[in-house]
Amino acid sequence: MEIYLYIALFAPLVGSLIAGIFGASKKLLFTGIVTSSLLALSFFSSIVLLVHLLGGGDEIHVEMMTWIAAGELYIPFGFLVDEISATMMMVVTLVSTLVHIYSIGYMKHDAGFNRFFSYLSAFVFSMMVLVMSDNFAGLFIGWEGVGLCSWLLIGFWYKKDIATWSANEAFIMNRIADLGMLIGIFLIYWNTGSLQYDTVFAAAPSLDETILVLIALFLFIGAMGKSAQFPLHTWLADAMEGPTPVSALIHAATMVTAGVYLVVRAHPIYELTPDVSYFIACVGAFVAIFAASMALVNRDIKRIIAYSTLSQLGYMFVAAGLGAYWVALFHLMAHAFFKALLFLGAGNVMHAMRDELDPYKMGGLFKVMKYTAILMIIASVALAGIFPLAGFFSKDKILEVAFGSENYILWGVLWVSAGLTAFYSFRLIMLTFFSDSRYKKLGFDPHEAYPYMLWAMAPLALLAIIAGWFEHQFVEFVTQALPMFTFNVADVVWMLIVVTTLIALGGIALAIWTYRDGPLDPKWERNPIHKLLINEYYIPAAYERCISRPYRELSAFFWKEVDLKVVDYTVDLIASMVYGSGKKTHTMQNGNLSSMLGWVAAGAVLLLLAVIFSSGIQVAG
Amino acid sequence: MLEPIVVTLEELNLITLVPMCIAIFGALLIICIDLVKERLDKSFYLMITLLFLAVDFVAVLASAGLFEQVGSVRGFFDVMFIDGLAILGQLIIVGASMLFIPLALTSKRFHEYNYPEYFGMFLFMVGGFQFMVATDNLILIFVGLETASLALYTLIALHNRDKSFEAAIKYFTMGALGAALFSFGAMLLYAVSGSIEIAHIAAVVKADEYANIEILLVGVVMLLAALGLKVSLVPFHTWLPDVYEGSSAALAGYMSIVPKIAAFVVAMRLFEFLIHSGVVWLEVILYAVVVLTMTAANLWALVQSDVKRMLAYSSISHAGFVMAAILIATTQANSALFIYWILFSFTNLGAFTMLWVSRQKDLLPGQSSDHPYDKFSGMIRTMPVAAVVMGLFMLSLAGMPPFAMFWGKLYMISAAVNAEYVILALIMAINSAIAAYYYLKLIVYMFMKEPHYEGMQQYYMTNSSGALKTIIGFAAFATVFIFLALNPIMEFVTALVQKSGF
Repeated sequence: MEIYLYIALFAPLVGSLIAGIFGASKKLLFTGIVTSSLLALSFFSSIVLLVHLLGGGDEIHVEMMTWIAAGELYIPFGFLVDEISATMMMVVTLVSTLVHIYSIGYMKHDAGFNRFFSYLSAFVFSMMVLVMSDNFAGLFIGWEGVGLCSWLLIGFWYKKDIATWSANEAFIMNRIADLGMLIGIFLIYWNTGSLQYDTVFAAAPSLDETILVLIALFLFIGAMGKSAQFPLHTWLADAMEGPTPVSALIHAATMVTAGVYLVVRAHPIYELTPDVSYFIACVGAFVAIFAASMALVNRDIKRIIAYSTLSQLGYMFVAAGLGAYWVALFHLMAHAFFKALLFLGAGNVMHAMRDELDPYKMGGLFKVMKYTAILMIIASVALAGIFPLAGFFSKDKILEVAFGSENYILWGVLWVSAGLTAFYSFRLIMLTFFSDSRYKKLGFDPHEAYPYMLWAMAPLALLAIIAGWFEHQFVEFVTQALPMFTFNVADVVWMLIVVTTLIALGGIALAIWTYRDGPLDPKWERNPIHKLLINEYYIPAAYERCISRPYRELSAFFWKEVDLKVVDYTVDLIASMVYGSGKKTHTMQNGNLSSMLGWVAAGAVLLLLAVIFSSGIQVAG
Repeated sequence: MLEPIVVTLEELNLITLVPMCIAIFGALLIICIDLVKERLDKSFYLMITLLFLAVDFVAVLASAGLFEQVGSVRGFFDVMFIDGLAILGQLIIVGASMLFIPLALTSKRFHEYNYPEYFGMFLFMVGGFQFMVATDNLILIFVGLETASLALYTLIALHNRDKSFEAAIKYFTMGALGAALFSFGAMLLYAVSGSIEIAHIAAVVKADEYANIEILLVGVVMLLAALGLKVSLVPFHTWLPDVYEGSSAALAGYMSIVPKIAAFVVAMRLFEFLIHSGVVWLEVILYAVVVLTMTAANLWALVQSDVKRMLAYSSISHAGFVMAAILIATTQANSALFIYWILFSFTNLGAFTMLWVSRQKDLLPGQSSDHPYDKFSGMIRTMPVAAVVMGLFMLSLAGMPPFAMFWGKLYMISAAVNAEYVILALIMAINSAIAAYYYLKLIVYMFMKEPHYEGMQQYYMTNSSGALKTIIGFAAFATVFIFLALNPIMEFVTALVQKSGF
C-alpha cells in the first residue's frame, strides 16, 4: 500500500518538474498530457488507498525520512493516510485531474502553456503534502506551498498590473494569517514537545485551558487566511484575476478548503475549547450571509461564484464549529464538485465571450452553448440545495445541525443565506443564458467549448448530482476518524427540509421572475443598499484608507528618514572609510625602485627594533 | 693525512635527486636540440617540456610511494630531504607548471616563445623550486631559490616590452636584496647553532635553551624578510604589482602560484619549530604581518582600475591569508595551506588565462593598461560564455560556495578556529567580505554595464586558441566540481603532512 501513497504524493511533483523543464519554451502539447496523466495516476492511487480503507484496512502511516533532528526536536517527513486524508486526497486528485484536462483546451492559445501546467501540478503536490502530512510542520510546508503556487497562478498573466496586484494581495493576506498559524504551531511545540498529530492530540487534554484556547485561536487565524474568512476575505474575489481553471481548482475546490481541513484535522483541540468552536461557528454564519449578500448585485460572473465560495466556506465552518466535523467534510466534498463545475462553466462562457465577464452584456447564450448551460444549471441547482442533488444533502445537514444544537439564530442566518444563494445562482443563470441576446449588439460571436472540455466537466456534473446519495456510507467511513455528531431533530426534520427547500425554491423563482427580461432598471443601482453591496460594504476601501495607506506612509518615512539617513549612511561611511584608506595608502606603490627597496629595508629595520625592544616576551615559559 | 672519503651509492640515495634531475635533463636536452637544429616550432619544445614535467610528476609520485613506506628520506650527503612537505610542494610546483606552460600555445606570436631557451629556462626554474622544497639545508635552499629566480627574471624580460624589462629589473633588484637578507640570516643561524640544517639548528638551539635568542631572532628577521619578499608579505610586497603588470598574464599567473608555494614550504620548515617551542615573539610578529598583509592588500585591491593589478593585490592578500597557517602551525592548518594552494592554482589558472586570451598587441584607444575594468564592461552581451566563465572564477576567488576557493577558505578558517585563533578567524572572514567587493566589481562591469568599446569584440579574444580554451574549460570544470574530489585530496594531504611531523 505504501507504494500507492508515494505514487499519489509524488506523481504531481514529477509532472510539475517535467513541465517546468519546458517552462520557457513555446507551447508543447505533451506537457499538458503528461501532467494530466500523472495526475490521473495519482487519482488512481488515491482511489486504491480509499478502497483499502473502505474495506476496513488499517490507516497507512509512513516515515519517509528524517527532516529535522536537532536536540529534542525531531520532525520527520511522515505521511498519514486515514479516513480524513483519504477523502481529501480523493477530492483533490479528482478535481485536479479534470481541471488539468479541461485546461489543455482552455489554455490552448496561451504562450505560457507549459509554465501553467508546471505551476498547476506543483500546486497539487503541495496540496497533497498539506493533507497527507502526519505532523504540523509538514502541514505548514504544504500550506506555504499552496500559498506560493496560488500566488504564481493568480499572477499568471503577470503582464497585467491587476493580476500581479491581486497575486500580491492574496499572498500578503495569507502571510498575515500564516503568522497566526505559526504562532499556534510554536505554542503546540512549546507545550507538548512534539508536532506529530498523534502525540499532540494525546497530550492536548492535559494542557492548560488558556494555552489550548490560544492554540485553537491561532490555528484558526491561519485557517481564516487560507479559507478567506472575514476579515481576511478580500483577496479571494480579487484572486479571480487568475486563469479560470485556477479559480476552479484552487479558489473553489481545494486550497480554500484547507482552513476547514485544518479545523477538522485538529478537532481534538477544538473539542476541548467549546468557546473557540462557537466563535468559529459564528464567524462562519456571518460570512455565509455577508458573502451571499455581496453576490446578489455583482456584475462579474467569476466574482459572483467567488462570493458564493466564501459563503459556502462559512457554512462549512458553522458545521465544524458546532462539532459536526463529518458534516463539514461532507459539504467540503460536495461543494468541491459543484463549485468546480460552476467555475469551469464560467470558463467556457468567458472563452465564448472573449474574456468578457459582465453578465449584463450576455444573455440568451443558451442557444449557442446548450451543454455548458445545462452543466451550469446542474451546478447551480446543486448549490441552491434542491433535492436530490448533492448540495441538498450536505447543506441541509448543516441547517439540521444548527437547529438540532439549538442555535436558532445561526440556523436563521443560514436559512436566509440559503435563499440568497438560490437567488444569486439563478440571477447568474438567467442573465447569462436566458432573456434577450444582448451580446449581439456588442458584436460578440460566442461558440461552444471543445468537446473534451465538456467531457472533463461531465464527471463533475455526475458527482454534483449523485454525491449526496452516499451520505450514509460517508458517515460510516469518516466517523472512524472523526467523532459522530448526534443531535435529535427527528420530530422536526421534515419540517426543516420543507422550510429550507421552500426558501431555496423561492429564491430561484424570484430570480427567474426578476430577471426574466434581462437586467433590472438602472435606477435600482442608485439604491443605497445596492451601492453598499456593490462596493463590498466599503471594506476594500476601508482597508486601503486605514491600513494600506498609513502603512505606506510609515514605510516611506522609515525609508527616507531612517534607512537612507541612518542605515545607508552608516554603511556608506564604513565603505568609504575602507575605500578611502586604500586610496590614501596605495601611494606606497609608486613604482619607484628606490622606494621599494626602502620599504623592504624599513620593514626589516622595524622587525629588528622589535627584537631589541621586546626581549621579555621572546620565549614562553 | 686526510681520510679518503668513501661514498657508497646507497648512502647517496640518488632516488631523492631523480625528480629534479629529470627537469634539469629536459632543460639541457632542449638547449642541445637547439644547437643541432635551429628554428623548430614552439609546439615541439612545448611538448618536450610537458613530457619531462609529466615524467617529473610521476617521479615525485613515486617518491610519495616511498615516503608512504619508509617515512622521511635523506640522501646525497644528507643534503636532500624528502618528507611530506617536499612531496606536496613538488606536486604543486610540477603540476602547476604543467598547467601553465601550455599557455604558450597562443594564436598570436609572442617574442619569448620563439626562443627554445624559454622552455629550457622554464625547466631549470622548475628544478630550482624543487630543490628549494626538497631540502632542509639552508645553502641548498638558497641555491635552489637563486637558480629559479634568475631563470624567472629572464623569462619575464623575454616578453620584450618596455614594461617587461622594467618588471624584470625591479624583480631582479628586489631579488638581490632578498638573497642578501637570506644569506645573512642563514649566517646568523649558523653562528648560533653551528649548523645549516634546519632540523639540526632546531635541536641545537633547544639544547642551549635559547641562550642566544637575540641573535637567533635577528637571523629569523632576515629570513622572514627574505621569504616575505618571495611570498609578498606587506611591507615586502612592493615589487609584485609592477612585476605582474609587466609580465605576460600567463607568467603572472604562474608567479602567483609556484614561487610562493616553494617559499611557503621553506617558511613552514623554518618558522614552525620556533613557534612550537614557544617563541612568542615570532607568533606576535607573524600575527601582525598576516593581518597587515591580508587587510592592506585588500584595501589596495579595492582602488585598482586594472584587473591584472587587482589580481596582483588579491594574490598578496591570499598569501597573507595562507601565511596564517604557518602562524597557527597545527596539522590541520598546514594541510589547509596545501589544499588552499591547490584550489587557488586552479582558479588563478582560469582567471589569468582569461586575461591572457584577451591580451592584444597594442593598447585599445583610451586605455592606459592592458586589462582595465572598462574593457570588460558589457561582456555578457558581446561574449556571454566568456563573461560567465570569468564570473565563475571571480566568484570562486571571492569564496562563494560551492566553488573551489570557498572550501580552501573554509578549511583555513576552521583550522584557525580549532586552534583557538578566533579573532584571527574573524579578521580572515572580514577580509573575505572586503575582497568580495573587488571581485564582484568585475562581475558588475561584465554583467550590468553597457559595452564600452563598440565593435571591438574581435580584439578581446584575439589571443585565444583551442589549447587555451581547453585550459580555461579545464580550470572552470575543476573550480566548479573539485568539491566532489575534496575528501580524497584532504586525506592525502593530511596524511602526508601528519607523517612529516608538521
